[in-house]
Amino acid sequence: MCGLIYLYGLIPTKEETNQSFPSLKGFDGIGDLYTIPIGSITAIVCNLDPEEYSENRIKELINNDIEWLQEKAFHHHETVMKLSKIFTLIPLKFCTLYKNRESLETAVQSNDSKMMSTFALIKGNEEWNLKIYCDDQLLKDQVSQSNPVIEAKREEISKLPKGKQFFEKKKLDKLINSELEEEKNKVSEGIHLELKHFALKGNVKRTWSSDVTGRKDNMTWNSVYLISKPEVEHFLKQIQQYEKDMKEIGWQFEATGPWPAYHFSSFS
Amino acid sequence: MASLPFFQLFINGDEDMSLRESMENKDIALIDILDVILDKGVAIKADLVISIAGVDLVYLDLRLLIASVESLVQSKQETRKTVSSEQFDTQREELINATGQPNKWKN
Repeated sequence: MCGLIYLYGLIPTKEETNQSFPSLKGFDGIGDLYTIPIGSITAIVCNLDPEEYSENRIKELINNDIEWLQEKAFHHHETVMKLSKIFTLIPLKFCTLYKNRESLETAVQSNDSKMMSTFALIKGNEEWNLKIYCDDQLLKDQVSQSNPVIEAKREEISKLPKGKQFFEKKKLDKLINSELEEEKNKVSEGIHLELKHFALKGNVKRTWSSDVTGRKDNMTWNSVYLISKPEVEHFLKQIQQYEKDMKEIGWQFEATGPWPAYHFSSFS
Repeated sequence: MASLPFFQLFINGDEDMSLRESMENKDIALIDILDVILDKGVAIKADLVISIAGVDLVYLDLRLLIASVESLVQSKQETRKTVSSEQFDTQREELINATGQPNKWKN
């Protein structure tokens, strides 16, 4: 049978031989997960029907079938989470498929040394994600009240004739918005730099629009950190402190984790 | 069974682990999972949403501005069509005051 191979993750072979492999259901809910040892690296995989899971079909489902995406995303996440609790695991992105066993083996062999150094980097460390949200209206009020330039401009506008006020107010709004964005970025960046003290690595990610998050407040910051286990508690306490200090002025902090080390395992 | 005061659970427990553990057991939203496991897939989608939203906003803003200018012009035109002599006089007065021109009608 020439089936597709869905790759969940890679682990050091010596860890696999030391403990029994758990029984887990595969992506299609029928087959089981199994391992393929490739030298010092072992791949954790399941088989998939190439007819049912062609590239085009998967793309179509990801883009058009949110229920399918939700179910399969949770499956991938839960499976990889379970595995990362047992092994030092390089997690693969959702729907990483190989045409056959040989192509998977070739891919692993050609990245062998990079993968081994990735294992060394992520062993004993955890990935945490931080998203910062802002209540723009609340912050806007603070910026427009505490900024003397804006206050003076507002005073000036109130003395203008009505027609002129309309355009000047629009201009002032733009000024307040740009000051607000600058302020939000400055504060978030400062927080990011402080949090990096607790981490081995920290990366900034793109933020999401409220259309995607479905929240009223705006995502101001999105970042990921690789943290050694003993430091995680300090890292989280620091975030809790930010939350306490800044909640009332419109800031919200959402940390999630520990994640499998998705952002610190890329070797392409 | 001896009843323990509730707060003793915290005192006896390993306080250092509680924050991390409570985070670990928190429900994760789909968006957080997709943010991590889809990477490029969702990044492309997010880009699309952001750019569409951006275009929409600019478009809407311009439309609003144009609409308000249009209605301003329209209401002025309508006033002009149905203007009574009193209204005309008042408007003339206003115009004279606003421009600071000498009122030649008075002469």
